[in-house]
Amino acid sequence: MPPLLELSAVTKRFGGLVANKDVSLAIGAGEIVGLIGPNGAGKTTLFNCLTGYLHPDAGRIVFAGADVTHARPERVCGLGIARTWQLVRTFGRMTVLENVVCGALKRHSRVGAARQRAWHLLEFTGLAPKADVLAANLTLADKKRLEIARALATEPRLLLLDEAMSGLTPAEMAAAVELVRRIHAELGLALCVVEHVMEVVMPLSQRVVVLDYGEVIAEGPPAEIARNEQVIKAYLGEHYRGR
Amino acid sequence: MDGSSGRRRARLALAAGVLLGLAYPIPLQWSGYTYFHTVGFLVLINAMLGVGWNVIGGWAGQFDFGPQVFFAIGAYTAAILFVHVGLSPWLGMLAGVLAAMGICALVTYPLTRLRGHYFAISTVAIWMIAQPIGATWEFINGSRGLFIPMQGAQGVLGATASLQFAGRTKALGYYYVAFGLLGLTLWLLRLVEHSKLGFYFRAIRDDQEGAEGIGIDSRLYKVIARSITAAVFAAGGVLYGFWALAVFPEQVLDLNWSTLPIMATVVGGIGRLWGPVLGAVILIPISQIMSTTLGTGPLAGRGIDLIVYGVIIVLIAALRPTGILSLPWSRWARRLAGRPASGRLVGHG
Repeated sequence: MPPLLELSAVTKRFGGLVANKDVSLAIGAGEIVGLIGPNGAGKTTLFNCLTGYLHPDAGRIVFAGADVTHARPERVCGLGIARTWQLVRTFGRMTVLENVVCGALKRHSRVGAARQRAWHLLEFTGLAPKADVLAANLTLADKKRLEIARALATEPRLLLLDEAMSGLTPAEMAAAVELVRRIHAELGLALCVVEHVMEVVMPLSQRVVVLDYGEVIAEGPPAEIARNEQVIKAYLGEHYRGR
Repeated sequence: MDGSSGRRRARLALAAGVLLGLAYPIPLQWSGYTYFHTVGFLVLINAMLGVGWNVIGGWAGQFDFGPQVFFAIGAYTAAILFVHVGLSPWLGMLAGVLAAMGICALVTYPLTRLRGHYFAISTVAIWMIAQPIGATWEFINGSRGLFIPMQGAQGVLGATASLQFAGRTKALGYYYVAFGLLGLTLWLLRLVEHSKLGFYFRAIRDDQEGAEGIGIDSRLYKVIARSITAAVFAAGGVLYGFWALAVFPEQVLDLNWSTLPIMATVVGGIGRLWGPVLGAVILIPISQIMSTTLGTGPLAGRGIDLIVYGVIIVLIAALRPTGILSLPWSRWARRLAGRPASGRLVGHG
């Protein structure tokens, strides 16, 4: 069976800068893949290409059998890829519930049905007590959680999390990791997680892909990546060795 | 508990407003002095346009400074069909609304590539293009415009059917037609507000990329939002044209057909269904009073009325930028009713 998502030799340039160079990788249904690399390695650019905000200059992106290389974001979402944002993009002047209703309207065009679906997800993510709060008034941790709930409401098969843990306190981070595990276990989604906190991404991922200067420099199980000389030199640093 | 009593208060306010609006012209009618009916008519038509502008400007968050183009398209469509074909103004209104929506969709789709200030400027540009077309196109009589002949229909029903009121009941008739159209607009847009469209418009306003990420085609929904605005403006244009018994470019393409409704919306409460109604009720009479008091007498001709009017608007915008409707009315209502402002202030202290 072909993988859920397959990138072949994806290249994205911004003028003279090559943000992604010949990136090839695959994500299977129900898999959790960690995507790591130093700042400017091209992780967010790759997410933007995957979700239709940018289009690669070369290469091909195939999701669930459909070529999405040049698809617009709304079509990519319709096919079943959802994402969250490094800098949150919640709808600030709408309530928590209304934010999730907007997501649920992708699959239910009647507001009543979408509202019902949104309530389920607020309960699943623990946001139900804050349903009537304006999104602008949430804490960062809750905004990030809300983005996940809103993304889930579009009923994706693959969820891309762009630094869902950054800027959170250790306790909030633990709660977020718990939520990601439940999304994987109970909803059976495939996940691709961009994260800088190694203590989070290593135990969470089944497989880790390392980007550096836009290229994939390593790929494999977390334990193997943690010992990879090239990865330690480019990104992890000496202090991570041997943990 | 609080929600249901809030809803009851809102319903009471609505009932009071409707009764007041219906009763307003009656005591004046006997005096034979219809000036205040006309002020009421202008309040209602600007309120209706503001409610329509709120869809693109308040909900979808795209500043549109050229909706008067669709006001003109509505007015011209109905007038031409009436003058040349003898079509009923009400069917003409339907045709005008459809024509405005169609033209709006065609014109706006390319504009949705632009965002923020650039979108706003492009809507002004469309209006600037419309002016020479209106002034020179012979089919619509160029700058001479179209005059709408009186049909001399009999009775209230006949006058309403031909949208032509004359004599002593002219101002009264148009007042009630405007009242009805405003009510219809509010009812229809309330349905839109609570539908998928209402949610998608506000999502695009709050974060366009975020909206696209959950599957919203932002360009399509901006076009839909502006076409709804265009429909309301077209209906208003038909009403105004038949009231004025003439349609000519300088009149229906006047910048005031966008600035007054936009100011009413901003002053009353942008993004709130009833905001423009409140704004129009406050602003339009002030402008009329200013021009009849300060605009005449020793200070006449110096534009003092416009200066004072402008200062009032600046003051409201500076003191309450989110609009008068956003003031804590429900808390004040509770205090008036003799109950504490918040349940938490009493008891456990």
